[in-house]
Amino acid sequence: MRAESVAPTAYGVGVTTTTTDVAARAADLWKVYGSGEAQVIALRGVSVDLERGRFTAIMGPSGSGKSTLMHCLAGLDTVTRGQVFIGETQVTGLGDAGLTRLRRDKVGFIFQQFNLLPTLTAQENILLPLSIAGRKADPDWYKTVIETVNLSDRLGHRPSQLSGGQQQRVACARALVARPEVIFADEPTGNLDSRSGAEVLAFLRNSVREHGQTIVMVTHDPNAASYADRVIFLGDGQVVDEMTEPTAEAVLDKLKGLDVGSAGA
Amino acid sequence: MLRASLKSLLSRKLRLTLAIVAIVLGVSFLSGAFVLSDSLTARFEKLLRSINQNVAVQVMPTEDAADDDPRPLLTQQQVDALAQVPGVAAAQGDITALGVVPFDVRDGKPVTTQGAPQIGGGATGDDPFALVSLADGRWPTAETDVTISRYTAEQAHAAVGDRLKVYLPEVNEAREFTVAGIVVYEGDRDSLAGETLILFQEAFAQRTFYGAEGRFSGAYLSAEPGVTQEELRDRVASLAPAGFEAKTGEQANEDAANEVQEGLSAVTTYFFGPFAIVALLVGIFLIFNTFNILVAQRAQELALFRAMGASWRQVTSSVLVEAVLVGVVGSTLGLLAGIGLGMAGSSALTAFIGAQLPGAGIQVGATPIILAYVVGVLVTVIAAFVPAIRASAVPPLAAMRDIARPDKPLLVLSIVGAALAVPGAALTGAALTGIGGLTLPALLIGVLLFFLGVTLLSPLLTRPLAGLIGRAVGWGTSGKLGVRNALRNPRRTAVTAAALMIGVTLVSTASVLAASFNKTIDETINSTIGAEIVIQTNSTQGPPDGTIGFSSEAVDEVRALPGVDQAVPFYLTVDGRVDDGAPPFGGMFAVDDMAVARDMFAMKAVDGDLGTLGPTEVVTDENTAKSRGWKVGDTFPIELSKGGEQQYTLVGIYEATPIWTDSMILPRAAVSNFKGPLAIQAYVSLDDGADAAAVKTEVERVMSDFPLVTVGDRSSLIDQFTSFTDIALGIISVLLGVAIVIALLGILNTLLLSIYERTRELGMLRAVGLSRGGVTRMVGTESVVMAVFGCVLGIVMGVALGVAIAAALIDRDFLTTIAIPWLSLIIFVLIAVVAGVLAALWPAWRAARLNVLAAIAYE
Repeated sequence: MRAESVAPTAYGVGVTTTTTDVAARAADLWKVYGSGEAQVIALRGVSVDLERGRFTAIMGPSGSGKSTLMHCLAGLDTVTRGQVFIGETQVTGLGDAGLTRLRRDKVGFIFQQFNLLPTLTAQENILLPLSIAGRKADPDWYKTVIETVNLSDRLGHRPSQLSGGQQQRVACARALVARPEVIFADEPTGNLDSRSGAEVLAFLRNSVREHGQTIVMVTHDPNAASYADRVIFLGDGQVVDEMTEPTAEAVLDKLKGLDVGSAGA
Repeated sequence: MLRASLKSLLSRKLRLTLAIVAIVLGVSFLSGAFVLSDSLTARFEKLLRSINQNVAVQVMPTEDAADDDPRPLLTQQQVDALAQVPGVAAAQGDITALGVVPFDVRDGKPVTTQGAPQIGGGATGDDPFALVSLADGRWPTAETDVTISRYTAEQAHAAVGDRLKVYLPEVNEAREFTVAGIVVYEGDRDSLAGETLILFQEAFAQRTFYGAEGRFSGAYLSAEPGVTQEELRDRVASLAPAGFEAKTGEQANEDAANEVQEGLSAVTTYFFGPFAIVALLVGIFLIFNTFNILVAQRAQELALFRAMGASWRQVTSSVLVEAVLVGVVGSTLGLLAGIGLGMAGSSALTAFIGAQLPGAGIQVGATPIILAYVVGVLVTVIAAFVPAIRASAVPPLAAMRDIARPDKPLLVLSIVGAALAVPGAALTGAALTGIGGLTLPALLIGVLLFFLGVTLLSPLLTRPLAGLIGRAVGWGTSGKLGVRNALRNPRRTAVTAAALMIGVTLVSTASVLAASFNKTIDETINSTIGAEIVIQTNSTQGPPDGTIGFSSEAVDEVRALPGVDQAVPFYLTVDGRVDDGAPPFGGMFAVDDMAVARDMFAMKAVDGDLGTLGPTEVVTDENTAKSRGWKVGDTFPIELSKGGEQQYTLVGIYEATPIWTDSMILPRAAVSNFKGPLAIQAYVSLDDGADAAAVKTEVERVMSDFPLVTVGDRSSLIDQFTSFTDIALGIISVLLGVAIVIALLGILNTLLLSIYERTRELGMLRAVGLSRGGVTRMVGTESVVMAVFGCVLGIVMGVALGVAIAAALIDRDFLTTIAIPWLSLIIFVLIAVVAGVLAALWPAWRAARLNVLAAIAYE
């Protein structure tokens, strides 16, 4: 059930035998900021299972807690109550050293702001997480990733010489090349024009379909969510609904309902 | 606008703190020097007042006549005549000599003072001016009696009735006396300022010091009630013989205090001056960098001001106002620190002298205050000027968008740098080789231009040179990331490193010169001096003019010792005029027999003959002959301390070596015209097979009566020469310390600001798995690369400069060889590594504790 069993066979949907496994799990997650009058409850007992080898989108209006949920799942934020697991590892309660190990071995990130190091070339940026962890890239897999993101002729460029879409594809390659248990993507198309955004999203979906990568994406864009296998809707800190095989229209309708719902609540 | 920039200043006060520290250090050294010399002067003034409290008028030799030969003296009749003047209450003739040294009763070693005078005087009975009074025993009545101050008694471990050996100047020998009494100063004080005082029977003192009884070096008068000092001075003025003048006690105190102040401020200026200059020079870089980074970070805020209609002038002056405020705060703190420094220095010096100089509080004059503010503010404003101009160049558009402002290309900067460095180097070289009569000012300007040029070129050198250093120190991924960060902004890295470069250049230059000098001395002495025993005089107690050292009788005694082959004494004077010009810098020597000296020092004749000199014959070295245009056979006048002008003929020219350059050797007969008859050095060669240690013990016995004289071997001679360079190096190392501390603050500053700028990046690195240790290593590596880069630049420049100066000195025969102190240079690099690590501690800690989520979630 580790990476070797999710070999890039490149054919079929959900090729691995472990599709029903859970890659990340939140159990009765509470997140409370502040205290007394100024208390804000961002998450109210959220429990979700995120299946391995699937592309899950987390949606919700602003203030719904979707970013907080992702941050807690990724071990970037502490939780007030409840538990988070990534694979077999319990994230909640890990110290800084444990979290660092977790990030090296099991988690990848794609940020809205790309967050590439300006001092490194595209190739160096892609290999950075492996380099930090002191590991070597699997040459075949590296080649596959580079070809998939279509960056072969841009590897020597620095981020400032790349377009936004290219930079985000570098960031995707960086997340993929270490073959983490889960990739967390935070509004990955938020800073891109629609064409570049579509490229990145297609690429993310392909890496799930063809290589069995698990991806969790936070977005507020129904169109982006339509690339996912499953959409989880959050409202007021709770899971309010979910949808499989979503379309942009269906997601938009659902969101409208949520906005009305939360406005009425 | 002013209010806005003040608010913005307050909100960033922490970041400006480090810039202020540089000003504080520089200004404190500067004002400390003044406070210290003023405060010490005040204490000396108080001391003088207590010495002269009952003196209304003094009749003393004028400054011009004091060194005349024969010296001006008052007779008993002249002193009596002064006493008869109406209004004079009491008159006392002055009998004083300096260099009267007691020997410790216990171990026979001469008693030394830390620079305080060793006074001898004549006394008949109670002192009418009540400066000293008997505490024990009696006044000296017999020629073999002495009465000494209690401090002298303590230092010499002598009590009433003990036999005390005392060295007498003028007669130049030590004699034994019986301690008849002990005196104390008013207020039961042992000493005034750590001096020794020995009083002899009056007639004996006059005979010994002045050659005849009834002679005085001056007179003190006290006034009857109702007579002012000025009135009394006017009345006695006509009675002062030629060469003497009457002065009021007040005036005498003031003159003496001024003299003390001049001496002290020279000392404190030489001591603190370099520290202040280095601190401020390095501080300029630190402040420049701080303001530059702050302006870059505030680009949006400044653009907003511009968009709202502020003129570029307003933006520029808003930055300059900040600079003035930083300067004022720094100057104020620096002034306070300087006052503290002055207080500490004053009490440290008292402890060192071991005496109770009267306290006179801490003196803070107007000069240190004005200087502190002028210098502190000026330095800050100069350093902030370029950043201020840059601030005004921020386009208003920058307020709307996050415009990435790429670093301007380094081409223009580098061309300007080269345009300064190349002529600077050329000028330095020309000045050092003496082309076109260029001298010290040209050298300084050349070095300054070279320095500025290299500083401007250093951003260009950052990528290649710091990259190379990075390859050596950037281990692992985090190390490599740190190296990349250091190379990222070449200007910032270069300016940060330049602060360290200045100090290291200074010390490297000095180290090369010192190593070359020491090696030269070692080689020259070992290869040219054929003497096993060296007799030397500690010449810090006075100018070498024949009044300190040892007598020729003592040299004869040494010659007669079994085992001694030859003894060559050198008599030295730095007084007089040669061929109507100043004497050679190395001094004018006289030897008993030039032929013997020539053989012992392996001196080679370049022209003429180095045989025994006739009474009007001289020899000199080739450099002196060349610079003064002398040839063998030339005749020119020489005037010594006494005896007027006399014609001498140049009979030989010897090869110049580092110990024989800018010198001249006179015949033995000339010594009678030196101020005193004593030899200052002697070199003793031994018979084959003689027991060197045994002979040395015998020589020591012969010389034991001469208080400033030490007996050593060749290595102790080398030590004596090299001790000067060691002291100089010690001082320069402390300077390096100051420069390093400020440079360290500069690196710390740059790192803190860079980390602030790179918050997102740090968050991302942590998110993709960089550990806290990794972040720490990354920041540490960046710091070490900057520090070592500055250090290496400094070493390269310092060694280049040192070698150039050394080459020029070889040309003038002051050096024979150039030595590069590799070990010291490697140590400098290691110090830089440690400094880099230290500077990174706090920034790295902050970077490692960064909240990952806050760092990446921040928009």
